[in-house]
Amino acid sequence: MRTVPDLFKSAVKDNPNRIAVVEDGIEITYATLYSMVQDLSSFLLKRGVVKGERVAILLPNSFEYIVAFFGIACIGAVSVPINTAYKEEEVNYFITNSSPRIVITEAKLKTLAEKAARVIGAGVVVIKGVETNWAHSNDGREFSIDCSIDPQDEALYLYSTGSTGKPKRVVRTHFNLIALAENHSQTVGWTENDRILFVVPLSHTYALGNFISSIRVCATLYVLGSFNRNKVIDIIEKESISIFPAVPFMLNVLAESFMQRPRDFSSLKLVISAGSPLSKGVFFKFHKRFGVYPRQLYGSTETGVISINLSEDIENMYYSVGRPVKNVEVKIVREDGALADIDEVGEIAVKSPSMASGYYDLSEETDKAFRNGYYFTGDLGVIDKEGYIFIKGRKKMFINISGNKVNPGEVEDLLLRHPKIKEIVVFGVNDASGNELVKAVIVPKDGMSVKDVVDFCDGKIADYKIPRIIEFKSKIPKSPTGKVLIEHL
Amino acid sequence: MSDEIRKRIRKVLNNKINSDLKPEMLRDDTPLLELGIGADSIATLELIVALESEFNISINEDDVGPGLIETIDSIADYIIMRLEVAN
Repeated sequence: MRTVPDLFKSAVKDNPNRIAVVEDGIEITYATLYSMVQDLSSFLLKRGVVKGERVAILLPNSFEYIVAFFGIACIGAVSVPINTAYKEEEVNYFITNSSPRIVITEAKLKTLAEKAARVIGAGVVVIKGVETNWAHSNDGREFSIDCSIDPQDEALYLYSTGSTGKPKRVVRTHFNLIALAENHSQTVGWTENDRILFVVPLSHTYALGNFISSIRVCATLYVLGSFNRNKVIDIIEKESISIFPAVPFMLNVLAESFMQRPRDFSSLKLVISAGSPLSKGVFFKFHKRFGVYPRQLYGSTETGVISINLSEDIENMYYSVGRPVKNVEVKIVREDGALADIDEVGEIAVKSPSMASGYYDLSEETDKAFRNGYYFTGDLGVIDKEGYIFIKGRKKMFINISGNKVNPGEVEDLLLRHPKIKEIVVFGVNDASGNELVKAVIVPKDGMSVKDVVDFCDGKIADYKIPRIIEFKSKIPKSPTGKVLIEHL
Repeated sequence: MSDEIRKRIRKVLNNKINSDLKPEMLRDDTPLLELGIGADSIATLELIVALESEFNISINEDDVGPGLIETIDSIADYIIMRLEVAN
């Protein structure tokens, strides 16, 4: 098994009649999924997509997303998943930067996709919703898609949010993705009998790793296009979900949501928490209601899954992100580059067969982050004597909103375009529950209101990036060298 | 009853706000956007969960449009309606 098409075809060959995907009660077997994938691959070839070209996927979690992902892979093209939470400017950036031949999307997002695609002359194909350009013919036709793909060929572009500049393109090869699927699924011990609920967006590296691992073991995937608490609870109970990757925000909301009657969650064997730190409160609250302890997973866009906490003493070890998954090495490095001691805080560096080799066309950024075969995460942590990793903080100054990274600079740059804003600082603050919020402190030129600021952001950036707390000041405090004194804000 | 409900809504908002502006300083018709509520789906969902807990009702987020959490008045109207239906 050397490439993504190999992985997919192997699953189909082993379990053609097993249910691969379920969405809104509609079940699709691996055999049917294969037929749909081949159909779409054939369509893309007829539209002129050749090996190595990019195809963007602007779709919510859905079986269409999965068809698109494998349909693109089977012709040796490169997937560029784009989160449907993004707005026009963000989508424009990803499309312009990756230059896809085609954008695959749903009817609701067609206008957004077309605006972005027009800039670079890309085509738009709607495969979900009303009035599609492509639908599976289901006439029993067989398609022969023959494409020679090397494991080192590019398979996927993801974008990593940093503390400075625009998101950076991260290229993952077929080899990277196969390694990810093998190492993650083997470490966790997933099987074909697992039923995995995907609410976290498949366009994000976190869900992607779990998704490709699920297909590797021929499990059944349940997909939800957005987070609806009641739907999640209903599906877990009715469909006997065994694995649920989530983020702490979701776990907290599920643990606190009103339930009119007791529900049966006994099928859950693994709940994964990633994206942001899991608090003690949420950890125990979730267990009290659902009977299973969430386990933290640590990863990055650059590396895929790094570690997962499978400790038997999870009640006392909940705050660890676990031990590295199979074939992944983690070390803690001091400022001077030397290896840190056990329990000494330093920067977490990762070596993994599923990691990227660098940032596309950004040699300086690449040289800083990728050194001597390791990716330097920018996270601070320790490793204890048992090999468990604990995250202690961040070197990089981005804001984490329920697993979504926000670059403060991006929000500042946007708002500085407002004619009434003279100066602005954006940073993260914690609320009473320890969750990060986006705060903006603004020096206005003229009188302005919170609504002016929010309305200006609306439709330009994803909702979660819009400042939740907005304050107006006559001056922003700075040090003698001009550095903003955030601690005074 | 509606005064009591408004008072309880203010209590919920008080726990959710991270601002110098306290809910008791708000009029019933002041836009809650001023407190950063309603700007994004995460904040909206957190408020819904807190209201469910306070009033012992289930709120389907698919039923929640931007108008529902616009002001203390709009939230109170919804809660009163739900409690009357429940009774």
